[in-house]
Amino acid sequence: MKLEGTTTLPAPVETVWKTINDPEALRRCTPGLTELTATGPDAYAATLTIGIAAVKGTYKGTLTITDKRAPTHCKILLEGTGGAGFMKGEGVLDLEPEGTGTLVKWAGDMQVGGLIAGVGQRMLGGVGKMLVGQFFKCLEQQLGSGA
Amino acid sequence: MSTRYFGARVTRNEDPALLRGHGLFVDDVRVAGVASGAVLRSPHAHARIVGIDARRARTAPGVLAVYTHADLGTLGEPLPKLIPHPTLIHHKTQRALARDTVRYVGEPVAFVVAEDRYAAEDACDLIAVEYEPLPVVATLEAAVAAGAPRVHDDLDTNVCAHYTQRVGHVEDAFARAPHRVRARFVVDRGASCPIETRGVVAAWDPRARHLDVWDSTQAPIPIRNGLARLLGLPEQHVRVVAPDVGGGFGPKIMMFYPEEVLVPFAAMRLGRPVKWIEDRREHLVATNQEREQIHDAEIAVDADGRILGVRTVFLYDSGAYIPYGLIVPIVAATTLPGPYRIPNYHCEFRAVFTNKTTVSPYRGAGRPHGVFVMERLLDQVAADLGLDRAEVRRRNFIQPDEFPYDVGLTYQDNAPLRYDSGDYPACFARALELIGYRDWPARQARARADGRALGCGVACYVEGTGIGPYEGARITVEPSGRVFVATGVGTQGQGHMTSFAQIAADVLGVSPRDVTVHTGDTALFGWGTGTFASRAATVAGNAVALAAQAVRDKTRLVAASLLEALPEEVELADGRVFVRGVPARALPLGEVAQAANPLRFAMPEEWEGPGLEAVRYFAPPQGAFSNGVHACVVEVDVETAMLTISRYVVVHDCGRVINPLIVEGQIHGGVAQGLGGAFWEKLAYDDQAQPLSTTLMDYLLPTAADVPPVEVAHIETPSPLNPLGVKGAGEAGVIPVAAVIAQAVEDALRPLGIHITEAPLSPNRLRQLIVEARRSP
Repeated sequence: MKLEGTTTLPAPVETVWKTINDPEALRRCTPGLTELTATGPDAYAATLTIGIAAVKGTYKGTLTITDKRAPTHCKILLEGTGGAGFMKGEGVLDLEPEGTGTLVKWAGDMQVGGLIAGVGQRMLGGVGKMLVGQFFKCLEQQLGSGA
Repeated sequence: MSTRYFGARVTRNEDPALLRGHGLFVDDVRVAGVASGAVLRSPHAHARIVGIDARRARTAPGVLAVYTHADLGTLGEPLPKLIPHPTLIHHKTQRALARDTVRYVGEPVAFVVAEDRYAAEDACDLIAVEYEPLPVVATLEAAVAAGAPRVHDDLDTNVCAHYTQRVGHVEDAFARAPHRVRARFVVDRGASCPIETRGVVAAWDPRARHLDVWDSTQAPIPIRNGLARLLGLPEQHVRVVAPDVGGGFGPKIMMFYPEEVLVPFAAMRLGRPVKWIEDRREHLVATNQEREQIHDAEIAVDADGRILGVRTVFLYDSGAYIPYGLIVPIVAATTLPGPYRIPNYHCEFRAVFTNKTTVSPYRGAGRPHGVFVMERLLDQVAADLGLDRAEVRRRNFIQPDEFPYDVGLTYQDNAPLRYDSGDYPACFARALELIGYRDWPARQARARADGRALGCGVACYVEGTGIGPYEGARITVEPSGRVFVATGVGTQGQGHMTSFAQIAADVLGVSPRDVTVHTGDTALFGWGTGTFASRAATVAGNAVALAAQAVRDKTRLVAASLLEALPEEVELADGRVFVRGVPARALPLGEVAQAANPLRFAMPEEWEGPGLEAVRYFAPPQGAFSNGVHACVVEVDVETAMLTISRYVVVHDCGRVINPLIVEGQIHGGVAQGLGGAFWEKLAYDDQAQPLSTTLMDYLLPTAADVPPVEVAHIETPSPLNPLGVKGAGEAGVIPVAAVIAQAVEDALRPLGIHITEAPLSPNRLRQLIVEARRSP
C-alpha cells in the first residue's frame, strides 16, 4: 500500500531535521511506539503496538534511518513481526524551506501479512494516513514547545 | 423388485435428531480430559524459516506441548500423494509442519497443545519464528512468466503437469470453418465454507493400543488406513468416525490435512485426548480451495451454427502443492463438451504452482469451468450469426438414439468418457417451457419499455457421476425386526440415512423408519473410498440393493423351513414373512432373524452361516452421466449493478430418482452455492499473495435473501450401468450457474453490449463493465 503527502512544520529545515533524528522525539511521536533502543548508528530495536480494524497487535522489530543527506532527505525503514502477522514499511522524507517553516514531502509504502492483512487490509489506507497525521502533529507540537 | 419407497418423497430419517440439536458433530464429541490444539500458521506467502524459538510458549501456563517439524520424526516427511497421473511429473505435497520453507499464508508451522484453546492460542503468540521472505508467485500468469520465482526451489519450473487430450482433427476443422469465436475466460477462487469447519479429536488408549479418531472428513476409511500406516499401527487398532459432518463439498476429502496427522500424533505422544476445531478464519486459508483457471478457448462452426471443432488451452492453479493430482483440470477439460456433438476437440492444460492455498475438488470440481467456457462460446456464436441461442444449442445436441455416446476422451476415472443415457433435447425443451422462453422477447421488450433491464439465461451441462472403484454395504436384520445397514460412504447432509433405507426397505418389505443406516464409522464398515464425485447413491446405493437382496434370499431360506414351504414361495412385506397367498399365517421378520441364529442343534449347511446378514459390493464399470438445464430470469439495476433473480428453473435428469425431496434439496443447495460463485464469493489475494477475504465480512456467502426459490423438474432416463438405474445428483445444482447468470446478465444489458468472460462477477465488477460499455462508442 502506497501513501504520500505533504505537511508544513513551523520550524526551519535544520531544526526539523534535528528533531526527526532525535530518538527521544521519535519515541514520543511515532504512534504506538513503546520501546526504542539504539543498536547502532541510526539503527534501533523497536516495539510497536498498533490496532488496525479489529486487530490490535504488538510488533517487535527494527527501525533504521538510511540514505541520509542532511538536512533535507532520509529514508526510514520499519520492520516488525508479532502474533497478528508482520509489517514492513518504508518512508522517504524530503524537507524544503517554506517561508520561515519547512515543507515536508513524504512518501511511504507499507506491506502487511498474516492476520492484519486478512482482516485489516481494507482499513490500512485510512489507518496509515491517520498514523502519519499523528506523527506530524506531534512533531509540530514538539517544535512549537521547543522553539 | 417392489418399488414402494423408491421414488417416494420420504421425509428424512436423520432430521428429527438434527433438528432437535441431537446431531453429533466433531466439536460435540466429549472425551474426558481432552486437551486443545491450536496451529501457528505462516503469515508469509513464501519465506524461508530461519529459526523457531518456542521456549516461551513451552513454559506458558497451561501449555502441554509445542511441536515443530523437528519433533515429528518420520511424520515430518511430505504427506501422502493422492491420485498420481503419468503427466503429473512434480507431485508435491506439504509436510504436517513446514520444515524450512513456507509456501502459502496459513501453512502450519507449529502445533500447540494446551489445557484449553485460550492457552493454546496465547502460546502461539509466544512462538518467535524468524522468516526470510522469498519472492512470491501471486498469480497464475506470473507463475508461468519467464524468469518467475519458483514455488519449489528444487524445480526449475512452476508447471507440474502438461496434459493434452484430442478428438478428431482440430486444426483441419478450424482451417475450413467459415466462422470462429475466440475468447479468454477467467474463473477465480472460492471457498467451500461448510457450516461445520474441519475438526479432529483423537484419543489413544495405551493399554489396548487403540486409537480413536473423530474427524469431519468425507473419507474416514482412507484416513483410517493412512493413519495406521503413518503411525505404524494395525488398521484394526485405529477407528475413524466421521459423525454428522456438517457439509463437506469436496475439500473434506483431502488425505491428509496436517491437523489430521498432528492431532493423533499429539494424543499418542501426550497420552491425553486432543481436540482441534478449525475456526472460520483458518478455514479461509487452510482448507483447500478451488476454481482458479484461465481458459483461452475457441470454437469453429459452420454457417448454421453447427459445431465443427472446439479447443481450449488453459492454466490450472494448484496452489502451493498438488496432493490431489489432476482431477479438477481433467474434469474441467472433459466436462466442456457437454451435451453437444463436437467432432473435433482439443483440450490442453498446464497445472501450475502458486504461493496460495492448495486446490482440490470443490463441488463441481472443474465442471463449472468447462460449462462456463462452452456455454459462453455458444452464446457468442448465436450473437455473431444472429441465431437464437436456444436454436444454436438444439442444432448441436447429441440425440436420444445415439447412446451410449462415446465422446472420445478419457474421463477422471481413467475410463472412456462414454455417456450412458439421456434425452438432452427433452430436458432442454422442458426448461424452455418452464421459463416461458417462447414469450421471452415480448416480455423483455415490455420491461425495456418500462425502463427495466430484464434478462433470460439458459445453459446445459452433462455431469459425470457415480464413478468407481467400489463401495459396499452390510445389512443385518436384528431379532427386533429392525434392519441395520452399514456402509463406508459417510454423509455430509445428503440424506444417506433415508435414501439407503428406502432401497433396503423395498427389498426387505419393511418401512424406511425401521431401517437404521450407519455410515462413516470404520468400526462398523471398513471398506470404501469415500463420498465424492456424486457417487454415493449410485455406487453405495446399488451395494445396499445387492446386500438387501442377499438378505431377502436368506430370509426366504430360513422362513421356508419354519413355514414348511419352498423358499421361492416366501414373500416379505410390512415387516412380516409369509407364504405367497397366505398372509394370515405370517411370521414377524424379527422372528425369522431369531430363528436364523440358533442356540443349539445343527444349523443347515445351505444357510452358509448364522443370521439374516449379508455383505455385498458394487463396482461400476465406469461413471454414469447425469445432465440438466438451468434457466433463469434476472433483473439488473443498471445504476447499482445489483441483480434480482426473479425465477430460477432446473430441469434435471439423474436417472431413476430414489427420493425427489432429497434430490431437490441437493439442487437447491447447489444453486445457492453456484450463485455464490457466480456473483458473490471471491477469495481475493493481494500482489504478495496475502489473502484479503479471511472473514465472512469480506467473503460474501449468499444469504437466504439472495437465493431465489428454485423450481425443479425431473426427467428420468435410467442408467443402464447399474441395477437401480440411478445416477448422481450432488453437484448438479452448482455446475452451470455462473454460465446461466452471465448469459442472463448479458441479455438484460444487450443494448449496452457487455461481454462477460469471468466468474464470479460482483456488483462492483458488473458496474465497472457497465461504465466501460457506456464509455466505449
